[in-house]
Amino acid sequence: MLQTLLPILIFAALLVGAAGACRRIRLWRQGQRTPMVWRRLALMPKRYLNDLHHVVARDKAIAHTHVATAGGYVAAMALALVVHGFGWRNPILGGLLLAASLVMFIGTVAVNLRRVNPPPKLSKGPWQRLSKSLIAYSVGMFLISLPLVGVAPTALGGGVLAIVLAAVLVWGLLEMVVGMGWGGPMKHAFAGSFHLAFHRRPERFDDNHADVGHDVHRGSRSTALFPLDLTAKTLGVEKPADFQWEQLLGFDACVQCGRCQNVCPAYAAGQPLNPKKLIQDMIVGMAGGSDAHYAGSGYPGIDVGKHHGGPSEPIVPQLVEAQTLWACTTCRACVEECPMMIEHVDAIVDMRRFITLEKGETPEKGAAALDNLIATDNPGGLDNASRLDWAADLEIPRIKDRPEGVDVLLWLGDGAFDMRNQRTLRSLVKILRAGGVDFAVLGDEERDSGDVARRLGDEATFQRLAERNIATLARYRFARIVTADPHSFHVLGREYSAFGGDYRVLHHSTFIAELFDGGRINVAAPTQPETVTYHDPCYLGRYNGEFAAPRQVLAALGLEVAEMERSGYRSRCCGGGGGAALSDVPGRARIPDMRMEDVRTTGATTVAVACPQCTAMLEGVVEPRPRIRDLAEMVADALVATAPAATVSSSTREEEPA
Amino acid sequence: MAHEALFKPIQIGNLTIRNRVVSTAHAEVHATDGGMTTDRYVKYYEEKSKGGCGLCICGGSSPVSIDSPQQWWSSVNVATDRIIPYFQNLADAVHKHGGKIMIQITHMGRRSRWDGHNWSTLLSPSGVREPVHRATCKTIEEEEIWRVISDFAQGARRVKEGGLDGCELSAVHQHLIDQFWSPRVNKRTDQWGGSFENRMRFGMEVLKAVRAEVGDDFCVGMRICGDEFHPDGLSQDDMKQIAAYYDATGMVDFFGVVGSGCDTHDTLANVIPNMSYPPEPFLHLAAGVKEVVSVPVIHAQNIKDPTQAERVLEGGYVDLVGMTRAHIADPHIIAKIKAGETDQIRQCVGANYCIDRQYQGLDVLCIQNAATSREYMGLPHIIEKTTGAKRKIVVVGGGPGGMEAARVAAERGHDVTLFEAEPQLGGQITLAARAPQRDQIAGITRWYEMELARLGVDVKLETRADDAVIRDLQPDVVVLANGGHPFLEQVPEWGYSDDPDESLVVSSWDILSGKVEPGNNVLVYDTMCEFGGMSAADYLASKGATVEIVTDDTKPGVAIGGTTFPTYYRSLYQKSVVMTGDLGLHKVYREGEKLVAVFENEYTGEQEERVVDQVVIENGVRPDESLYYALKARSRNQGQIDLEALYAATAQPTLAESGEFALFRLGDCVAQRNTHAAIYDALRLCKDL
Ligand SMILES: Cc1cc2nc3c(=O)[nH]c(=O)nc-3n(C[C@H](O)[C@H](O)[C@H](O)COP(=O)(O)O)c2cc1C
Ligand code: SF4
Ligand code: SF4
Ligand code: SF4
Repeated sequence: MLQTLLPILIFAALLVGAAGACRRIRLWRQGQRTPMVWRRLALMPKRYLNDLHHVVARDKAIAHTHVATAGGYVAAMALALVVHGFGWRNPILGGLLLAASLVMFIGTVAVNLRRVNPPPKLSKGPWQRLSKSLIAYSVGMFLISLPLVGVAPTALGGGVLAIVLAAVLVWGLLEMVVGMGWGGPMKHAFAGSFHLAFHRRPERFDDNHADVGHDVHRGSRSTALFPLDLTAKTLGVEKPADFQWEQLLGFDACVQCGRCQNVCPAYAAGQPLNPKKLIQDMIVGMAGGSDAHYAGSGYPGIDVGKHHGGPSEPIVPQLVEAQTLWACTTCRACVEECPMMIEHVDAIVDMRRFITLEKGETPEKGAAALDNLIATDNPGGLDNASRLDWAADLEIPRIKDRPEGVDVLLWLGDGAFDMRNQRTLRSLVKILRAGGVDFAVLGDEERDSGDVARRLGDEATFQRLAERNIATLARYRFARIVTADPHSFHVLGREYSAFGGDYRVLHHSTFIAELFDGGRINVAAPTQPETVTYHDPCYLGRYNGEFAAPRQVLAALGLEVAEMERSGYRSRCCGGGGGAALSDVPGRARIPDMRMEDVRTTGATTVAVACPQCTAMLEGVVEPRPRIRDLAEMVADALVATAPAATVSSSTREEEPA
Repeated sequence: MAHEALFKPIQIGNLTIRNRVVSTAHAEVHATDGGMTTDRYVKYYEEKSKGGCGLCICGGSSPVSIDSPQQWWSSVNVATDRIIPYFQNLADAVHKHGGKIMIQITHMGRRSRWDGHNWSTLLSPSGVREPVHRATCKTIEEEEIWRVISDFAQGARRVKEGGLDGCELSAVHQHLIDQFWSPRVNKRTDQWGGSFENRMRFGMEVLKAVRAEVGDDFCVGMRICGDEFHPDGLSQDDMKQIAAYYDATGMVDFFGVVGSGCDTHDTLANVIPNMSYPPEPFLHLAAGVKEVVSVPVIHAQNIKDPTQAERVLEGGYVDLVGMTRAHIADPHIIAKIKAGETDQIRQCVGANYCIDRQYQGLDVLCIQNAATSREYMGLPHIIEKTTGAKRKIVVVGGGPGGMEAARVAAERGHDVTLFEAEPQLGGQITLAARAPQRDQIAGITRWYEMELARLGVDVKLETRADDAVIRDLQPDVVVLANGGHPFLEQVPEWGYSDDPDESLVVSSWDILSGKVEPGNNVLVYDTMCEFGGMSAADYLASKGATVEIVTDDTKPGVAIGGTTFPTYYRSLYQKSVVMTGDLGLHKVYREGEKLVAVFENEYTGEQEERVVDQVVIENGVRPDESLYYALKARSRNQGQIDLEALYAATAQPTLAESGEFALFRLGDCVAQRNTHAAIYDALRLCKDL
């Protein structure tokens, strides 16, 4: 009986599943269309096995579990199709099928063990069920296939036992095949495969990134926001259907693993943001319905089940509250951790663009910053002519007085208006002079890079600033740009190229490390042993993959670095990025306070920083707390004279201690 | 950004100043090498530039002529070419840190002394005597006028050749230029006096000659008065007219404006307003001048804190603020503002120790900051942490000496415990601050309190340290700064007793602290003639008592410096306090409800009596030595301080030895001196701990 039943079951499942898949594809294609190039599906296996596995493998146990379960499943399914579906009942294939089911079963046991007492990051509901379904499928498949190798009596082919077995298998097939197409947890395999193939950022994959080397940190290969067409009918994303279809597809690949939730600083601070819930809400919006079925952690302070959406319904506020979107620091920790390579930040900024550009509802302080940017080209609303006030006594050459060109154009950033950051800049100038670097500044011709405007969704202001800065830069000759601001560094180095600005941009840590390497600066050994730790700025580390240079600089200073648990690509955001310092969404705790706790646990008395925003956020933590010092300050303080280098810039001079 | 206006660079002539803060001209009394700038001089200014000051105008009242005496105040001698290379060092030291430096040049005319050095005959437009310096003078002749004019030009040339960034012509404080301006002193009827143009002529010729010598692109400014505050002197309107007149020449790059004349004791006190004045009392005068001139205006007079300075600048009253004493008290004030450490600024309290020393021809020092002007000796404004062992330091006494010792030791990184018997820190400063108009002196204590808290010093208030307590702490170093008590037992006939009911006299301390209620009719007897007695008298009078203050010296308050006794006198005369000199207190006895004080005239021996209901005595401090002698024998250095090391400001040799604790004592528990002495000793003893 089973022999006749099995092919029917399998093909029926496949057929129903396929119908579901078609519907799914239609759901994705509600998004803004780009042509669907089917041949890109061929990219999938390699991307799956290589790139995706790379991320999954950060958790070894899960990686092994997944290899066993998924590998076993895929093999078992393929073999079952041949053996049971087409009836090619070869004992060797049968043996392989048994082995595959067994492997899958072993993985499934691990899945179930993890599901006994699941950590809070995991969703329950259907995902709890999946663990059981996996057992049903693997055990069912195993037992049903036993006769193939002549182990079980063929009598299994009939009777009550057979019916039970068939039922178990049906359960398994429903979950594993039908559910895949119709939106059960197994949907992730299907959507995930497509997502890998059609990912909007192909540079993230090993098979496709021409301009960056293989040694570049994977997460940082493609981090520039996509430019917005300012002539479009609607600016930004109002409703799910306004997303690119690949984005909808990407959301659908989410496995609700909660890795993003675990690393999100805003979530940890109790702000109403949870990247995992956000992605799930996007799916709710895409498919239509309410968030009541969501079985994971919600947005802190916001009840689950009260929001609903549809593909053509506005997202804010009925599906997602604006607060949720404004809480994001754009730190990319979620993107970095997501095993499905989902792009949360793109989605958040897309939705912010609509709020800012179409509705003009940027939170108060953010809106003020944007108004200022329009009026004065800097977010503080300060007279742009005062950008160089802090350096009145330093006599820094202006690039306009150096028509023959300079080696380094020092990009000041808006920290030039901030008294705290001016100390960093003065230190950097001191270092450049000590290293005999030929440098100049734009002075009052420099404008804000547009970083904050862009992250707050004001693409128009960003593009205007970018174009004007690019036009200014085009007038001058310089080999490279050096800046102490990772945000300017990212925007100039990564985001201006879409507008025709291609420069070699170095963060000051990279440049200082280079000066050390070249023996162009010398420092005295520390007089006292001190424990320092280093805080990786998101826009330097995760966004741009520079983890080494700052540590090299600290090593050159003779300092031992006590690393925080969350450092390098896993660094925890200071809370200041993406305009979050301006939107200032209330939470249970403050992000910088939590980061300072990370610092304290290392026992460090100084935390080395490399970003004006991080400096400001961390210095906002109430004392007593470890000292916060920019790398440039630390180097400048330790400088000792070198043999006189060929100084090209104006006379070397000391500075006041600041 | 906070303090935007303060940090806005400004152009003066061709010069860019990095911020709006100026250390205005003050006679430092440091050019001791015959008027040449010494190492001390250079380091003093280098520290200000290092600390972020925008512009230093050095060399207050530096003479351009040989007959404007240089030696009295060790001023910079701009009357000789010998100065030129010295200027170069000075300019380099300041420029190195991004600051700019100019010098004030002048001929002081009659405002000096003639009784020494070259025995110069002083010059003035009409030979009128100057009362502050008790200076008689001759009437200047035409030839001398032209000589002085060319001296100014030569002086300016030397400044320029020396590489300084500019010069300021002093036409303020009644120097020769403004002596010509002021009808109060200029009684001439020739072309140099009488009409406005004639009175202006000398200054104008000086300006023209200077400009002709240094050219257009060298900074030349003028410091002028905003109102002489004399009915027969120059008023604010006159000064506006004068400023506009010189401004119209286009030859002046900036004006400095100071409120008040300076040729009487009373007006002199206005010029460097002490703690009895409100903030920026004469800003309106400078603002008035700013209205009529086209170039930047600098004003200094009681601008002490960053918020105040910001407010003055933001209001647009003037273009630059002088923060002169603010820099004497803390040369790193600007760096601290920039570093967001405004809490750590040691703010000038207007004690005027600096200027009162200057008038005596002594080097300018700050009452509370012993490192100022001792940079050349290696006394640090920023104390480095020790690289040696961490020590346990016990300091006894929370007066200025003890607080400084605790601060410095803690900055060195040591573990410090400070004992103070009273419920608050401050010692005698706390008493001093109780007098009317003297409350700001408590700023000294306030700074220490914040610093000690920041540095984690264990401050034990209301705790009297004794041998046992100190032994328990097992200190490596014990610093005693436990002061003393009012010395009332010196003359038994005064009738002092430890029992308050028995005692016929009370101390000025008990009055100021409020421990003893003021009587109705009070006699203050003051042998010291310093702040204590005057403050007690002022305090009593302010509480409604009828007060007479008597001294055996020439007049109460005579030992108080020139910018402070006038403010006491103003207050005491206003309250009808009688001030009597030359009477020694012979004896006090009780007669019924009343006390009878018997005085003896110092010069005739004649006795006179006062019948009062309270006798208050200020007779200085007697050291409390008992704790010292309890600890001395056990200490490894027998309490002895190595004087060679102390005076050279190097480490005490005993610190390198081991054994029992090292014991030092300083301040009034050794012998009465003053606040500065205690702080200085504490700094030089502890900086190498
Ligand atoms: C010790 C000392 C000496 C001074 N000598 C001069 C001087 O020679 N010429 C002058 O124009 N002003 C002199 N001044 C006045 C200062 O330039 C300044 O106007 C005054 O101290 C008030 O400003 P402040 O409150 O910022 O200290 C002197 C001030 C001090 C404290
Ligand atoms: S970018 Fe950072 S703050 Fe924003 S959702 Fe992701 S993890 Fe959270
Ligand atoms: S978005 Fe990515 S990291 Fe977050 S729950 Fe989904 S799959 Fe996991
Ligand atoms: S001595 Fe007094 S007035 Fe002079 S600077 Fe120091 S605190 Fe100010």
